[in-house]
Amino acid sequence: MGARSESIPFRENAAQAVRNAALRAAMRNATGTFSVKRSHAIASVPIEEWRELASQVRLHVLDNLEEYVNRFERNAVKAGATVHRAKDAAAAREIVWCLLKDHGARKVVKSKSMITEEIHLNDYLERQGLTVVETDLGEYIIQIAREHPSHIIVPAIHKSRRQVGNLFAEKLGCERSEDPVVLAKIARAKLREEFLSADAGISGANFAVAGSGSLVLFTNEGNGRMCTTLPELHVAVLSIEKVIPSLADLPKFIRLLPRSATGQILSAYVSIISGTRKAGEATGARHLHIVLLDNGRSDIVSGDCREMLKCIRCGACLNACPVYQTVGGHAYGSTYPGPMGIVLTVLLEGMERAHTLLDGTTLCGACGDVCPVKVPLPRLLRRLREQRVEIGFTAAAERLGMVGFGLAARSPAFFELAQKLARLAWKPARITGIGSTLDRMPMPATTPFRKRIS
Amino acid sequence: MIQDAVVDLFIENATKAGAHVVRVTNVEELNSSLAGMLDRVNSVYSPGLTETERTLDIPAECRTDDYKDAAACVEEVHGAIAETGSLICSSRGGRAVQAGLLPRRHIAIVSAENIFADLDRFLGDLGDSPPTNVTLETGPSRTADIELTLTIGVHGPEHLGIIVL
Amino acid sequence: MRVQFFPTCLVDTFFPETGEAVLKLLRHFGVDVRYPKGQTCCGKPSDSGGYSYETKKAAEHFLAVFGGDPDPIVIPSGSCASMVKNHYPHLFIDNHRLRETANAVAGRVYELSQFLVHELKADLAGLKAQGRITYHASCQLTRELGVREEPLALLHSLNGAQFVPLATAERCCGFGGMFMTKLPEVSMALANDKLDAILATGADTVVGCDHGCLMNIDDAIRRRGASVRTKHLGAILAEGL
Repeated sequence: MGARSESIPFRENAAQAVRNAALRAAMRNATGTFSVKRSHAIASVPIEEWRELASQVRLHVLDNLEEYVNRFERNAVKAGATVHRAKDAAAAREIVWCLLKDHGARKVVKSKSMITEEIHLNDYLERQGLTVVETDLGEYIIQIAREHPSHIIVPAIHKSRRQVGNLFAEKLGCERSEDPVVLAKIARAKLREEFLSADAGISGANFAVAGSGSLVLFTNEGNGRMCTTLPELHVAVLSIEKVIPSLADLPKFIRLLPRSATGQILSAYVSIISGTRKAGEATGARHLHIVLLDNGRSDIVSGDCREMLKCIRCGACLNACPVYQTVGGHAYGSTYPGPMGIVLTVLLEGMERAHTLLDGTTLCGACGDVCPVKVPLPRLLRRLREQRVEIGFTAAAERLGMVGFGLAARSPAFFELAQKLARLAWKPARITGIGSTLDRMPMPATTPFRKRIS
Repeated sequence: MIQDAVVDLFIENATKAGAHVVRVTNVEELNSSLAGMLDRVNSVYSPGLTETERTLDIPAECRTDDYKDAAACVEEVHGAIAETGSLICSSRGGRAVQAGLLPRRHIAIVSAENIFADLDRFLGDLGDSPPTNVTLETGPSRTADIELTLTIGVHGPEHLGIIVL
Repeated sequence: MRVQFFPTCLVDTFFPETGEAVLKLLRHFGVDVRYPKGQTCCGKPSDSGGYSYETKKAAEHFLAVFGGDPDPIVIPSGSCASMVKNHYPHLFIDNHRLRETANAVAGRVYELSQFLVHELKADLAGLKAQGRITYHASCQLTRELGVREEPLALLHSLNGAQFVPLATAERCCGFGGMFMTKLPEVSMALANDKLDAILATGADTVVGCDHGCLMNIDDAIRRRGASVRTKHLGAILAEGL
């Protein structure tokens, strides 16, 4: 873990987000639209069957993770790639930097990659003097704004068109416009120059296919394809649990990922990249380096929250979560927001830093319902709350209260005493502000039910 | 599914995804449709790798060898998938797949018999040593990153034309 | 028919009238209702917080109070019924005797609307009501117990009232147990959203099967000064007798 072990101020962030009317409107629009589109996209397909099959493939991989990762490496190398193993974020950053440095790269174009956010790659490379250009429109926007993504699929969803228009006018020197079509064209023109002059391309991968050593990239804009086919050097960073056994397994995920993420039947481009350019070919990087990152996955896969690693990063749980819908992604103070973000952040960054995120769920269960690979998110959230108590990261007052609760729950006499005390103490507690949140609840009844029944 | 039904399904789904699709039965019709799609386009890249590509009627003065600057790329693609309305763009045979990505207009010719019914049939067939780049292209490029407003034609082509032969 | 009644600690402490209403309702249908003395709480509050020791203690006590009697257990709360039915069996992985008891008890737990529709066929009774009614579907009731149609069947069967469906009925109201007090800003925002949807129906009454939700919605109503009232399903049916 890093040096940042101060816990994330989730409640404060959330309260601030609640007061931000523009953010609330943007989140309502985005999550509402995605949820509706997803419903339409799955309406006439055997979605429960598909979810179950996909879940089984992912579980099978997790049960044999080392073997599949090794197989992927072997086949990727056979196809011409060089594969590097990185134990943690620092190691991965170092490997990527060295590859770029050795290649003499000065400018790099990037396709959207959450794993590179997780390891804070951009900052590191920029500090080494490299120019890093994000090419996904949403990532480009937040890069110019010097912010972090607030959603794993649409990183700039918290920004209104006016905000983007002002941003472009200010930082790119172009004419101010609020028309998303115009803004997209401005970005297209600017980024076209970058694609054609970049020394290297960095991408993530949605999946890594063990049987053929292939990387699979889903994009809509075409930037992913440009980053991975135009420059001579392509560096791909991905975490080890992204592996699937073979190309024959890919259709299951092609059917589920776009539907779950944006409600599309399919993304505009699905690229299957297998190694470097071979003799007689006119497409493919001359040099392909694949960085396989662990960063805690091996530990997680042997623990009781291992099913979190089934996640295929679709964002459906974010869109379904009433808390995320209300506060947006930045409140979580982490690479990954929403339900999957709470679980993954606790697992990756530790309870000390992330335990506050565990308050950010009502355990309503909407996330578990929409996950295309049946990650049991509500169960994982409950399990992590248990761990939080076991490790000792709950407030003393709460722990004390729970001890009292435990006594009351198993002793009817104590329970009735507690009821009497609550009745007597309620008004004073409210007035003195000790139980300020008691304001939201009614007074206890003068005569409880147990005293009314004969 | 018999092949005619497969082709019909492909055309339906490709159209839904935003492509402009026509079906032709011979080379004359092919070139006629092509001329329509290339109306007022004066910078066309076409690799001439396959027999069909070599029969394309594109005036010499409109042709360019540099796909980076071309306004349109006309090529025969490896195949298509009916289930999703996708084209299969493959680097097999020395094809520059990125040539269909950079110009504003991508016009793809696909043979009816190379249309797979579904993803499983194609990907199951692909084997463990696929060409370096196999891309499924479904409709023109797009984004909804700003307020979820759909914009067509971001980094990749704005227009996707498909001629089924 | 004989049943055991577990009104829940929330009803016992804050909403005893609902307990009385459910009693009256069940007795109207000829049910012999037993109220086992010594009952306390099902343990949901500590379970949500991750306090498994206290939760097991609460569950053990519940099983001791209700486990000896073979009669069905009726619970006017989706979250409490689900706690006993779905979660109790998993609490006692290491204790064979308690796991057996938990499984047996789970098999005879009914949330109120489940009992009314499937056992008493109360949706055929033609009870009376008036005005415009809408319905909020609580989270554990729907997602853990799968209860969606039963409350609607009961409300649709009321004579004299107009039923208006609630948009986003299944969206969480923001109660979430301790969530209501630990993240009050978000809880209130969600309660406000729920109230917006309720007001858009023009209903004068919003019915629910869980008092936790209704309590949270009541708070939003009070802060807004809105003129809609919340009512537990058992209470509105008892009113219609």
